[in-house]
Amino acid sequence: MRTELSTGKKTALYGLMCVLLIPFVFPTWWMVTSSVKPISDIFAFPPDIIPRAFDFSTYSKVFELQPFARQYWNSGYIAALVTLGTMTFSSMAGYAFARIRFPGANIIFMIVLLGLLIPAEVTIVPLFQMFNRLGMVNTHWPLILVPIFGAPSVFATFVMRQFFIALPVELEEAARVDGLGRFTIYRKIALPLARPALSAVAIFTFLHSWNLYLEPIVFISTPEKFTLPQALTQYTDAYGGAMWNIQLAAATLTALPVLIVFIVAQKQFVEGLAHTGLKG
Amino acid sequence: MAEVGLHSVKKSFGKVDVIHGVDVDVADGEFLVLVGPSGCGKSTLLRMIAGLETVSGGEVSIGGRVVNELEPKDRDIAMVFQNYALYPHMNVAKNMGFSLEHRGGSKSEIAERVAWAADILGLSHLLERFPKQLSGGQRQRVAMGRAIVRNPQVFLFDEPLSNLDAKLRVVMRSEIKALHQKLKTTMIYVTHDQIEAMTLADRIVVMHAGKVEQIGSPLELYDRPANRFVAGFIGSPAMNFLPVNVRGGRVLLADGSELADLGAAAPPDGDYVCGIRPEHLDIGANGAAARVEMVEPMGADTQVTVSLAGQKAHLLLRDRITSNQGDTLFVAVRPARVHLFDIRSGKRGN
Ligand SMILES: Nc1ncnc2c1ncn2[C@@H]1O[C@H](COP(=O)(O)OP(=O)(O)OP(=O)(O)O)[C@@H](O)[C@H]1O
Ligand SMILES: [Mg+2]
Repeated sequence: MRTELSTGKKTALYGLMCVLLIPFVFPTWWMVTSSVKPISDIFAFPPDIIPRAFDFSTYSKVFELQPFARQYWNSGYIAALVTLGTMTFSSMAGYAFARIRFPGANIIFMIVLLGLLIPAEVTIVPLFQMFNRLGMVNTHWPLILVPIFGAPSVFATFVMRQFFIALPVELEEAARVDGLGRFTIYRKIALPLARPALSAVAIFTFLHSWNLYLEPIVFISTPEKFTLPQALTQYTDAYGGAMWNIQLAAATLTALPVLIVFIVAQKQFVEGLAHTGLKG
Repeated sequence: MAEVGLHSVKKSFGKVDVIHGVDVDVADGEFLVLVGPSGCGKSTLLRMIAGLETVSGGEVSIGGRVVNELEPKDRDIAMVFQNYALYPHMNVAKNMGFSLEHRGGSKSEIAERVAWAADILGLSHLLERFPKQLSGGQRQRVAMGRAIVRNPQVFLFDEPLSNLDAKLRVVMRSEIKALHQKLKTTMIYVTHDQIEAMTLADRIVVMHAGKVEQIGSPLELYDRPANRFVAGFIGSPAMNFLPVNVRGGRVLLADGSELADLGAAAPPDGDYVCGIRPEHLDIGANGAAARVEMVEPMGADTQVTVSLAGQKAHLLLRDRITSNQGDTLFVAVRPARVHLFDIRSGKRGN
């Protein structure tokens, strides 16, 4: 049910939202504007909301100082693979936990969930040893495989399972009568209806991979193989001091795809919601 | 088309037995209705025929072939669910054609079958719509369309009309009947609405607590219910039950007044429960005295509640009545319309 708000209430509501927005918008704004400020202006107090002078050369320097395009590609393709892998893996696992009755299902699910409780810092050393033995250190494999089979995927599995549990069983029974087997039901009925859940999984998986920091600095050592969060820390001058404006220019470029992914996935999310449910 | 056989079919969920051995043979092309109160196991039985529920004991056969171990898709049945279970992400045409598509029919063949079914059900102008853009009755039709496109051997319906309003239910009821007359396919139909059962069925199976109480044509069940349960379940308003004593063929109420004389057709003397349908209690110059408690005119007929030898009873009269509360009427019943049931077992005694 939709109720119409009075103008006064609406104004108050929007005012409140604007105030609540400040802590989210200000850092982003500061990042974007500072990326074009001369370095001396960055720490001016109070901070300039609008830069006094513009210096766009920071953006070309981003690409001169490091193989930034290459690093961008690295982050991009790794995040894409991780997202696709996690969506496939977690939706199948979630479906199995939700719908297939097999002995020990609950125990296994509990064990899987336990994976969420172990912080990455605890497992990073054994993982390093394992990948080292496999000859995969200083390759992108650990950055792809660990998230797909690790904690983020566990969380995604949990989200998918909860979604599939709530899906009306009659839909699948109708599909069984219509001649579909288990896998086709998953593929043609459950998965298309799971678009909202899948979009949510896609958003947070992509973000998680895109922002991954600990794993890259542990596993990757050559700049051509760096991912963006790791590369951002490398914009320093000869004395190790940060080149703030260049770093912020790189950070601005880094934040861009996050915005795009969010907008695309959010649309899927809303459209998907419109189709779910028996009664619509 | 095919016959369906249930032989000592049992079902337990864990330790709970819900179906205790059901035997029914459904003839080819028959319209069989399973009816019974909520929780008696109608849906469970239907789902076992569909293959959605495993069979704990006995045998289910379709077209002479035992199907206990077959998946639903291999049984050549179609089912209409209570809440329709339309695929929300597919439009009407896709919903109806989905099974054919999955079975590898050609595009033109599928389109032809869908058009045929849509035509029969009056859905032709809705083919592009999505389920959520349809009314309840339209969804119901799509669910039936999805079942008939495939031309299955058996149709299974689980309370397909219970989500519709009363008026639409009557309309769809006749449509289902017309559909059966046109397709002549075996149909098994679950409902807890005895009017639906009476109007649709070739034969009715009355179930109670996981057992079959009686199988017969609607009029057989109405005229000669095998036990008190069936007698009370079939017919609306429900049958009156009065404690009586039968002596020398005469059916006597508790106060000694005579309700009917069965003559030679009477069962052995003794106490019985006498069942009389409200529409079978006649008012006359003599008979048992009944005090009027309430008169409810319904237009075509009038329902009268009376007190008969201290027991409440209902009359359904075709004629209008001038009596008021407190008046005394004399009621009697024709011998052929008296149902006597054993006090303890509830089995029919006459
Ligand atoms: N999956 C299940 N697990 C355990 N018990 C069940 C299950 N399904 C049904 N039952 C039980 O089996 C009995 C019969 O259920 P069923 O759904 O067949 O009843 P019904 O006759 O269709 O009733 P209704 O008219 O309410 O639909 C009920 O007592 C129900 O509680
Ligand atoms: Mg039911």
